[in-house]
Amino acid sequence: MSRNQSSSTDKTMSTWQLASLITSTLIGVGVLTLPRTSTERLAEQGWMAPLAGGGIALAATLLIAWLSRRYPGLTFIQYSEVIWGSRKSRWLGKLISLPWVLLYLAHLYIGTAITSRLFGEVVVTAVLRETPIEAIIITMFCLALFLCLHDVEVVSRVNELLFLLILFPVLIIGLLSFQKADWNQILPLFSASFPDVFKGAVETAFTYQGYEVMLIFFAFAQPVARKSQAGFIGIAVAIGVYTLITMSGIAVFGVDEMQKLTWPTLEIVKTTQMPGLVLERLESAFLGVWVAAVFTTISNTYYAFNLGLRQFFGRGMVFQRIMSLLLMFPLFYLALIPQNIVQIFRVSRMSGYIGLVVGLGLPLLYLAVSLMRRQGNRVKEKGKVAR
Amino acid sequence: MSRFWQAWKRRKQMLRDQALHQRSKKSMDKIPDIPVSPELEANVTTIQRLLGSSDDLLARHFVIGPQETGKKAVLVYFDTLVDKKVIDEFILEYLGSPLDDRERPAIHTLESVRGMQKLLEYLLAGMTILLIEGKTEAIVCGTFHYAKRGIEEPQSEALVRGSREGFNESLSDGVSLIRKRLKDPALRVRLIQVGERTRTPVNVLFIEDLAPEDVVREIVNRIKGIQIDGILESGYIEQMIQDSTWSPFPQIQATERPDKVVAHLLEGKVAILTEGTPFALIAPAIFTQFYQSAEDYYERFLISSMIRLIRMMSLFVALLLPSLYIAFSSFHPEMIPSRLVIAMAAGRSTVPFPSVIEAFLMEITMEILREASIRLPGPIGPTIGIVGALVVGQAAVQAGLVSPIMVIIVALTTIGSFATPSYSAAISIRMLRFPLMILAGAFGLYGIMTFLIIIFIHLSALKSFGIPYMTPISPVYLKSMRDFIFRAPFFWMKERPEMFNPPDPSRQNWGEDK
Repeated sequence: MSRNQSSSTDKTMSTWQLASLITSTLIGVGVLTLPRTSTERLAEQGWMAPLAGGGIALAATLLIAWLSRRYPGLTFIQYSEVIWGSRKSRWLGKLISLPWVLLYLAHLYIGTAITSRLFGEVVVTAVLRETPIEAIIITMFCLALFLCLHDVEVVSRVNELLFLLILFPVLIIGLLSFQKADWNQILPLFSASFPDVFKGAVETAFTYQGYEVMLIFFAFAQPVARKSQAGFIGIAVAIGVYTLITMSGIAVFGVDEMQKLTWPTLEIVKTTQMPGLVLERLESAFLGVWVAAVFTTISNTYYAFNLGLRQFFGRGMVFQRIMSLLLMFPLFYLALIPQNIVQIFRVSRMSGYIGLVVGLGLPLLYLAVSLMRRQGNRVKEKGKVAR
Repeated sequence: MSRFWQAWKRRKQMLRDQALHQRSKKSMDKIPDIPVSPELEANVTTIQRLLGSSDDLLARHFVIGPQETGKKAVLVYFDTLVDKKVIDEFILEYLGSPLDDRERPAIHTLESVRGMQKLLEYLLAGMTILLIEGKTEAIVCGTFHYAKRGIEEPQSEALVRGSREGFNESLSDGVSLIRKRLKDPALRVRLIQVGERTRTPVNVLFIEDLAPEDVVREIVNRIKGIQIDGILESGYIEQMIQDSTWSPFPQIQATERPDKVVAHLLEGKVAILTEGTPFALIAPAIFTQFYQSAEDYYERFLISSMIRLIRMMSLFVALLLPSLYIAFSSFHPEMIPSRLVIAMAAGRSTVPFPSVIEAFLMEITMEILREASIRLPGPIGPTIGIVGALVVGQAAVQAGLVSPIMVIIVALTTIGSFATPSYSAAISIRMLRFPLMILAGAFGLYGIMTFLIIIFIHLSALKSFGIPYMTPISPVYLKSMRDFIFRAPFFWMKERPEMFNPPDPSRQNWGEDK
């Protein structure tokens, strides 16, 4: 316990920290468009899309937790070579797992860019109309960079700290908006067919994107932490928030009006009035607080990316600090590639689908291989060495 | 690349070790350790030579026992450091009496030394050295007497209810104030001398079965590692043993109140008392304890819970209010209720500056006023208040420099920052207000939130002797939250705060079997 080191129990995350990490990574800029995307196909039944989509996310998170339990203390990057390689030739495993690892890292990297661009668009169109979008994106990156300079334990603590700050505004807005709700607008309750619900669920994939960072962060769980339980709580809170917001969107605006709104959640906030009229219009305050939610999404993803990168190259903290700074510049250009908001929405939808492949497909594939090769408990001792 | 890096680090460590080894020679080590000689005059001249014959160094020759047959002896002491009455009565008169054979004076602190180094050390600490003809041992008599302040009410931490005793500058008085309150046989006091030239005695206090061993060891080691010529205040020690120098937040708590020190000792923390200052240090310290006052535990729990809530609010007011004003008035006027915004616009119509400049003008004026009123001698103090109230309040508004609402904001901010019980924590909040104001002027609410997140990240990364600074909020300790903003009644707080890992967690159930 010297000035820079800390005892090993602090380095790891508790169940609660894992859960808050999942929730705060999930809840982000996606909420702002969610009522529109989920009602696009399902119309009045749109509130089912986040429920069903949450089911997919939950399944994926539980798979990831299962995978992580088989290789405790190892991140996705580290157990990739164990799964694909043999004991003698590590490099073979590294070579075979290379495409998957690269896909995963690229997905995280691009996800960071898209989220920050989307949030920049919201801020510039809704609140700071005179500010160039570059300034918003750069400040968000600086926050993510500042987090990347610290240890993993700091990530878990920041998420824990900001968790309530993220949850409160959206819950309050959701509940307050019921003042203006017209409950006839959510009828008929069941109109869409089952395949449509499934397709709608897949379309909310971008909103639920973020649980794939747990491929990295589950490795830092405390030995006593319950990963599946954390995954369950984390996703359940997100499902609750998303369903609430979609419900209130449908109830306040109706389905047809909502299709014409770019940022339906912001419009809900605008119609909401605070009791006592302390603040007359809430959207600036909401977006102000929402910075925290978007920050956790961006920086957790970027942190996972940098951590994965440094483990991929087998380097230490200094490497992560330098790389997180250097890789910010291409990230900035990446974020500015889409020309307009329509393109961004298209890209974000694409990224959601790729996210399904990464978050659901990769764990499935890995689990299948791992089960077939009967790895798991045997790797436990080896895992400690590999770390 | 990494190999080079490791080699570089190893080399740096080596250099540091070497430097440490060289520097560990204290100024005392320069003095040759000459043995005490049997000849009186030789000893006196040696001492005078080593101390450069200061004028307050006295050597009094006298005879032990009867004038003719007795042994020759000499007393060496610093005139300015000793209690002369004690020397006259209990050494000179007592030893000089011709009635019977007396060799040792009747004083409580007595020790014999043989080497000059040790002898000089005692001499400089205010002891009187008794040298007797023909003996190679010098007798050290505890005659030290410093001028010191009495026990007074602590200036910086006033309470309505609670002990009125505060520490004074004397180390032994401080320890006695604590021992008086804490008659625990497990209370340990460790003496460390810090400062090569001042040789300031520093006491580390802890309760052995409550304070975690590794924390105590770490604190003692860090204090022992201090390499400096002088320690004049406990702030020196605080700054040299704290975890993060670049943080605006204090990581060790300073207090003038012995009851507070005892309360923290009972929670398993470590107290550091320094000679020459009324401020004791408490480590490890976490964020919340700077917003708690000893009185919170003396008042009934509902009242102290409410007061703590008010303190938290005042923290946010002190930190955020001016920047929120800037953000609202220059970026988000739509958020202010429409009638108020008209009144604000009317008030601001004569003000030529943007609201950032206006806020900066007023806040800086306020800081100057505050600093000036602290430095002013007591009787003139109120004058600055009147001048300040006039200038900041009425005149500035009438002159059209600031708007009336800005005056309210500045007043609230200042009052809010005074509501913090700890002065050092209040300063850090005062300081963080200014970057917040700049960012609010550049990005509105978005900028405020950005900076708050930076503060949050920093707070999450900060540690005080291995304890994360934001406990019990992150990492969450549900049990310790009973003593966070809400101060639970005592029958709910049967255990010590778990975040400090006390070896003995139980606080109240002595009678029950565990």
